[in-house]
Amino acid sequence: MSVNDDRPLLDPGASAVSPRQLWRRFILFGFAVVLVVTGLGLRLFQLQVTDAERYTALAVQRRQRTVSLPVTRGLIFDRRGRQLVENVPEFVVRITPGAIPFTLRDAVAERLGELLEIRPVEIHRTLDSVTGSTFDPITLKTDIPERVARIIAEEHLGLPGVTVEVTSRRKYPYGPLVSHVLGWTGRVSAEEMDRHEGEGYLPEDTIGKAGVELTFERELRGTYGVDEVQRDATGRVMNVLRTLEEPRAGDSIQLTIDLKLQREAQRALQWGMRLARLQRGVFLVMNPQNGEILAMVSLPAYDNNEFARGISSARYRRLARDPHRPLINLAISEQLPPGSTYKLVTGIGALQDRKITPRTRLRTKRFITVAGTKMFDWHLTGWGPINIYGGFAHSSDTFFYQVALKLGIDRLAYWAHEFGFGRKTGVDLPNETVGTVPTHAWKRQLFSQNIYPGETAQAGIGQGFDMVTPLQLISAYGALANGGTLYRPQIVRRIVDEKGKTVRSIKPEVARKLPIDSSLLRVMRVAARNVLVVRHTYNFVDVPLVISGKSGTAEYGVRDSKGRLPFHSWFVGWVPKDPKRKAGDPNGFKAAGGTDSELVFLAFAYDSRTRGNAATEIAKYFLQLHYGIQRDYRNPELMIKDNFYGQ
Amino acid sequence: MGALRLHPARIAGLSPRAVSHAWSVFDIQLALYALALVIIGLLMAFTNSGDAPLETGSVFTRALMWMAIAIIVFTLAAAFDYRWSSTFSWLIYLVNIGLLVLTLVIGSGVGGVSRWVSIGPLQLQFSEMAKVFMALVLAAWVAGRPAKVESLSTIIGAVLLTAPPLALVLIQPDLGTSLVLGAILVGTLFMAGASIRWLVAGGVLVVALIPLVWTYVLQDYQKQRLISFLDPAADPSGSGFQLLQSQIAVSSGGVFGRGLTNGTTGAEYLPVQTTDFVFARVGEELGFLGGILVLVLFTLLLWRVLVIGWRCRDPFGLAFAGGVAGMLLFQLMVNAGMVLGVMPITGIPLPFITHGGASLISTALALGLLESIAMRQGRAGG
Repeated sequence: MSVNDDRPLLDPGASAVSPRQLWRRFILFGFAVVLVVTGLGLRLFQLQVTDAERYTALAVQRRQRTVSLPVTRGLIFDRRGRQLVENVPEFVVRITPGAIPFTLRDAVAERLGELLEIRPVEIHRTLDSVTGSTFDPITLKTDIPERVARIIAEEHLGLPGVTVEVTSRRKYPYGPLVSHVLGWTGRVSAEEMDRHEGEGYLPEDTIGKAGVELTFERELRGTYGVDEVQRDATGRVMNVLRTLEEPRAGDSIQLTIDLKLQREAQRALQWGMRLARLQRGVFLVMNPQNGEILAMVSLPAYDNNEFARGISSARYRRLARDPHRPLINLAISEQLPPGSTYKLVTGIGALQDRKITPRTRLRTKRFITVAGTKMFDWHLTGWGPINIYGGFAHSSDTFFYQVALKLGIDRLAYWAHEFGFGRKTGVDLPNETVGTVPTHAWKRQLFSQNIYPGETAQAGIGQGFDMVTPLQLISAYGALANGGTLYRPQIVRRIVDEKGKTVRSIKPEVARKLPIDSSLLRVMRVAARNVLVVRHTYNFVDVPLVISGKSGTAEYGVRDSKGRLPFHSWFVGWVPKDPKRKAGDPNGFKAAGGTDSELVFLAFAYDSRTRGNAATEIAKYFLQLHYGIQRDYRNPELMIKDNFYGQ
Repeated sequence: MGALRLHPARIAGLSPRAVSHAWSVFDIQLALYALALVIIGLLMAFTNSGDAPLETGSVFTRALMWMAIAIIVFTLAAAFDYRWSSTFSWLIYLVNIGLLVLTLVIGSGVGGVSRWVSIGPLQLQFSEMAKVFMALVLAAWVAGRPAKVESLSTIIGAVLLTAPPLALVLIQPDLGTSLVLGAILVGTLFMAGASIRWLVAGGVLVVALIPLVWTYVLQDYQKQRLISFLDPAADPSGSGFQLLQSQIAVSSGGVFGRGLTNGTTGAEYLPVQTTDFVFARVGEELGFLGGILVLVLFTLLLWRVLVIGWRCRDPFGLAFAGGVAGMLLFQLMVNAGMVLGVMPITGIPLPFITHGGASLISTALALGLLESIAMRQGRAGG
């Protein structure tokens, strides 16, 4: 086909569509244009002319809003006023998804990712995953170096919707030393938001997550103020219209913990754990006269500063999956077999129930036969006929099998409950567990059968189904030491306001007066002194203090190839108010019989398998440190792994 | 059609006489309406530049620069013989696909988002160019099948041609621009005379596919925006915030507007005033009269686009005009509709007025090519 200027390009003959049809299309399209434009014009008319007033009113209403004014969180001190937590300023980058133009999102994400060392995808994901209002800023990263914070602040024009704020976060100067007691604070979760609805928590707020930071959240947090403000379209506050609620700073709390004792306890426990290659341990110190916990060490511990700074999920997973469970406070959250320390309950129960008297002698031997089963003593021969003083001091298993059988499982459980086992102590720390006190009813519910006599005998020496927490055990011995008053253990003494004025003192709380004759309690105290005097605990008696107490070896788990069971070691004991030995009381029985003790202590060594009782050595070292005893009575050779067991 | 049919190569077309003849039939109305819209865009850029609109790098000076570039592009496109674009339509198509793939590969943004290719200080948004390229390619396709234009195969072919670039834009992800490509497809087919019955059937099919798209294609933030469109008052300080704020801003303009630069520079109403919501600024500062002026100018412009297509007596020109008109009408409807609260937020720019070079340049190119068509129609249709 030749080409020239005047050639009619549209050749109707070649097309299947007639010009008439095309004309109709042309008109139809024009009609569509008019329709769209008319529609838009009418809407414009509606907005700007007929409904203008309504929208103006809406605009005013939308620009008023209430905002919360966060206040400083209260501090935490030890009983001598040492500061255990600080509030330190921290730069935080926050982003308001709704304030970023869609076309700038990529650029903002890229630049911000570069500055904060986050992958831009993560930023997009954060922006897209907003569930609440897109005009509520969300925290992108905390703990920003000042240099980066400054750059972001300078580049604010290129980073719309991005702000740098100074907030405060917790710093725990003693870290792992008191982390199980203090706990930590973190970002409030959706679940916590629901639980604390109406208490003024903000979406990005900080909340206590563990320890006293959690149990005393309400006191530490204070009351956020509420202002009604006028804001611009970006949500920026322009001016305050009125204050609806005055802010009130959080109160501080003073713990019962004495940092000096805490250090001594930690040092003693760490020494023992290192020497005996132990993975877990507990050391507790308490004042039996009021239930105040003076030291609470649970190892392994974690550094709560890691949490306060915002722990990475990978690091958190590692801590949570650690087989030795550093995040768990073993003193209150772990149930453990008490072993021979439980013989206190069996002995005193039988005495009070008049099943035995302090003079009743029972024959101890290699084993006794219970319902056709041989039940062995830890000692190869036994000690012949002995009374409660000897039975407790030598920790004779066959003695206490017989006592437990005289008492029966349900009476044993009754006395265990009286001492606070099988129920929460009520300490002001979270995640306390109750342990197990076996009864017929308990076993029927679980296994549809009664307790066998053999199991009763086992329960009498703190084995079998018995499970306790270290805090329950020290409280029970505290009740023995003070003459029969079981206190609720407490970790906070008082709450003080900003100016140091006491807002509330937390008074000692009596959980129960034990229905036991004071003379019988005295029998058990003397028996506990006898434990040391008969040298059941090696040379512990040589330490120049009147120490009374009970060691325990608690088997658990499964037998190894040689038929041996792994075991934990316990020692729980006390010293009188004046712990020095007196000339007129060579064995200390007189002092041990008193009820003026102000220091009860407990050492626990998880899976010790040492030649001697590792807990006893740890307790000994603590007393040496605490009372400044220069001579060293420790027996490192007892800390050798040897799978010693018995007693 | 085929790439080998080199029909309009005319040396004579470059002779001084022919050139002056061509410029004498230059469609001055089209250029004037477009210019008027660009000037309104410039005014908005000025008022959005804050305290120092004349400083280098301000929104206003950048808008001035882009206007200059747009005028050059427009003039060059008008001088260019549009029939070559039909000849090289396959090449254009492949280049278009190549640029979109390039955007995905080296575009800025990591994982999921890549809309720009940065070359030095310039950020090139090839999806804007893709609109014009697709209008050209589709016009060449339907014009190449004059006898079969009403058959289903024409529609299927056009859909198959559009699908790859549309998909490439969609996964950037840029839902708005991919919808514009769909509008170009419909505009082209409609004006070229494709079967109305099949077009309607296709429309029904697309509607039927919406649930699938919702589930598998749309990103969460896109869904959120659609939901907030359906009920902006449900959470007025949340997702519906921008929607309601823009209506409030428009409403505050009243009949005569607050006057240029008297708008709320402190962003009293609109958090994002400089981008896709610029029409709200028009309503706020220039009032109902200003808004109507913009709508009237768009109407006149679209009228000229259609008239050029109709008069050129070339199936290619007619189809191309249909595509461009579809593009402009759709963008006006969606963008202004979004600002006025009758359309969901999709991030589609308002031609001429939204700041940003890519949109303006592609619009200038499209209009320049239309001028080229107008100038080469001869007097046959006059």
